[in-house]
Amino acid sequence: MKKIAVCYKWVLSDTDIRVDEKTRSLNMEKCKYQVNEYDRNGLECGVQIKKASGRELVGITLGKDTASSAKDALSRGLDSVFYLDDAALADIDKIGAAKALAGMIKKVGDVDVVICSEASSDDFAQQTGPRIAALLGWPSVSYATKVEVNGDSFTLERKLDDGIECVSVAAPLVITISPEVGEAPIPGVKDILGAKKKPANALAIGDTGLSADALKPASAIVSVLAPETSRKRQRMNPDGVSLDQAAAALVKELSQAGIL
Amino acid sequence: MADYDAIVVGAGLSGSTAAYCMAKAGLSVLVVERGDAAGTKNVTGGRLYAHSLEKIIPGFADEAPVERKVVRERISMVTDESCFTADFSSSRFQNPASASYTVLRAEFDPWLAGKAEEAGCDVVCPAVADELLRENGKITGIKAGDDELTAEVVLLADGVNSLLAQKAGLKKELSPHHVAVGAKEVVELSSGIINDRFNLNEGEGLAQLFAGSPSRGMVGGGFLYTNKTSLCVGLVVTVAHMAKSPDRLPDMLESFRQSAALKPLLEGGKIIEYSAHLVPEGGIHMIPTLSADNVLVLGDAAGFCLNLGFTVRGMDYAIGSGALAAETVIEAKQKGDFSNAVLCGYQTRLENSFVMQDMRTHKNAPDFIEHTPRMFKEYPELVENIFADMFTVSGPSKLMLKKALPYVRKAGLLNLMLDGFKGSRAL
Ligand SMILES: Cc1cc2nc3c(=O)[nH]c(=O)nc-3n(C[C@H](O)[C@H](O)[C@H](O)COP(=O)(O)OP(=O)(O)OC[C@H]3O[C@@H](n4cnc5c(N)ncnc54)[C@H](O)[C@@H]3O)c2cc1C
Repeated sequence: MKKIAVCYKWVLSDTDIRVDEKTRSLNMEKCKYQVNEYDRNGLECGVQIKKASGRELVGITLGKDTASSAKDALSRGLDSVFYLDDAALADIDKIGAAKALAGMIKKVGDVDVVICSEASSDDFAQQTGPRIAALLGWPSVSYATKVEVNGDSFTLERKLDDGIECVSVAAPLVITISPEVGEAPIPGVKDILGAKKKPANALAIGDTGLSADALKPASAIVSVLAPETSRKRQRMNPDGVSLDQAAAALVKELSQAGIL
Repeated sequence: MADYDAIVVGAGLSGSTAAYCMAKAGLSVLVVERGDAAGTKNVTGGRLYAHSLEKIIPGFADEAPVERKVVRERISMVTDESCFTADFSSSRFQNPASASYTVLRAEFDPWLAGKAEEAGCDVVCPAVADELLRENGKITGIKAGDDELTAEVVLLADGVNSLLAQKAGLKKELSPHHVAVGAKEVVELSSGIINDRFNLNEGEGLAQLFAGSPSRGMVGGGFLYTNKTSLCVGLVVTVAHMAKSPDRLPDMLESFRQSAALKPLLEGGKIIEYSAHLVPEGGIHMIPTLSADNVLVLGDAAGFCLNLGFTVRGMDYAIGSGALAAETVIEAKQKGDFSNAVLCGYQTRLENSFVMQDMRTHKNAPDFIEHTPRMFKEYPELVENIFADMFTVSGPSKLMLKKALPYVRKAGLLNLMLDGFKGSRAL
């Protein structure tokens, strides 16, 4: 049976990020891992393609702590998961990640549809899908908002700046989806319980056909800082001037600044 | 056949304890929890009396994420101008069976739910039990979203506002006289500063209660607990009083934080969390029907919580009732009978335990507290006046008695004596 491979990233949730006000550095200590939100739409897209075409649906992921991602990912409709959890991949860059994912896809075998989401919530680099397509030598369809499948032929809609493009492609292919492709349902109790019984397969770097050296990052992140927000800190009602006066002052201020 | 022997609704302390004990005995157990993880929806002031969990998992504090062991107790009487504090520390607090620890539920509850999972339970979160399943009137499980899950018995550990216990006809709608509302903030500070500021050694903690102006004279009080690298500060006020007052709880918490009694203790700290929750405080008067065919009610859902004026205690009762519910279900499993004929043994077990005994001991507390507003206004003022005079020199001195008497008269000597007498019999 042919397989659909959905790549998903195990990212730190941004809800508990704390910013050090002095240095603007980010403290991620309290952040928990989760399946990248956009990839949840990708997983759901995979579920729909599986339903329509009878393919098998596998999830693929790599990076730190990804072994613990399997249960969550499997509750979202996957038949099985392949993960590459190796400390050596902690600082992997986009090129390395795409290479390793392409290697994993080959290792899984019989994959003829790869789904990635537009981007991940942590880096938002928007590269992985197209890079994998290039490495596999398959057509790449990005920004897909609608996917229809009939056996090996795919009809997709892409959202572009100036309209919607409709394309027909034959498998094998790599699809990069936009969230509009379909809302991801929240897994139910039975989905979560069922996930425990599905296979989660560990792969090693060697399984990608590449060496740890070949996956070494070519680029390095120099620093990550919270954006600086500068506020004018102007009070319109100092010393409790009347509301009317304050409003008038505000209107004047905003018109002078060209906002009104 | 049912999917599970038991389904537990809620992975708070009562639910996870029950689940853990049942799984240890080999029962198949499903726990559903509404929060994204155990502990995310739960609020507590901060102090866990260890005795009940100590019996179930001896030495638990060595492995559990507890914050600090409480060795220093303070009670403060606060008015807008003054603060009188009694400070008590004792090596007696070291005994594991009578020790108490400060805890953060976001850390502690996942640990306990994890123990249940290790013991073999299925723990699913987030998952909301929306309804109880019934077949020919008999409770057969729960409905969660589109999923139906069946079990021989359902344990309702879903907290103070147990909608499922209401739907099961075991409990009435909450009365405003039986619940308080609590709000708290977690304020981050380094452990070094906490140790210095509160005169603590590494790992040691303090619990401080505040009566008087923090609750603006309403029934309730303020609290402060030290964690490893943060403080919990908060307020609990009876809903019936809050509803009649123009004050809003978040504003009251803000003024409490800014008050002279508290501000220096929080200096340099950063608020990292805000939460609010209902607190059952009706004691024995709000206890619902605790068991029926195929269903038990535990923890806050059963009203097992005491408010003795300035302090709330519910976590050790939640754990205690969870363990007794589990014992009962294990017996039902052995007998193959999950009807109330066996499950009513839960009530007997509770009666013979500290849980129900405490509820009975303090049965007059809710009434006393609600009808003695002096405890929250006049008496803190009385203390203020006496001590302010004692330590103020601005001319010729007077004898203690002469100084104190006018203030005692103002509060009412008879009131004082009566309240003292009634209070010591109720609290
Ligand atoms: C401000 C405040 C201060 C307090 N201070 C103290 C203190 O210092 N010491 C002390 O011992 N006690 C204190 N208490 C009381 C104590 O927190 C409670 O008694 C205790 O949390 C009760 O535990 P429980 O497991 O019964 O309920 P909870 O901890 O409320 O757990 C109920 C769980 O059920 C889940 N749930 C509810 N409905 C559903 C559903 N339909 N489906 C799935 N899951 C559901 C909830 O998400 C929750 O996790 C305080 C309470 C408050 C609010």
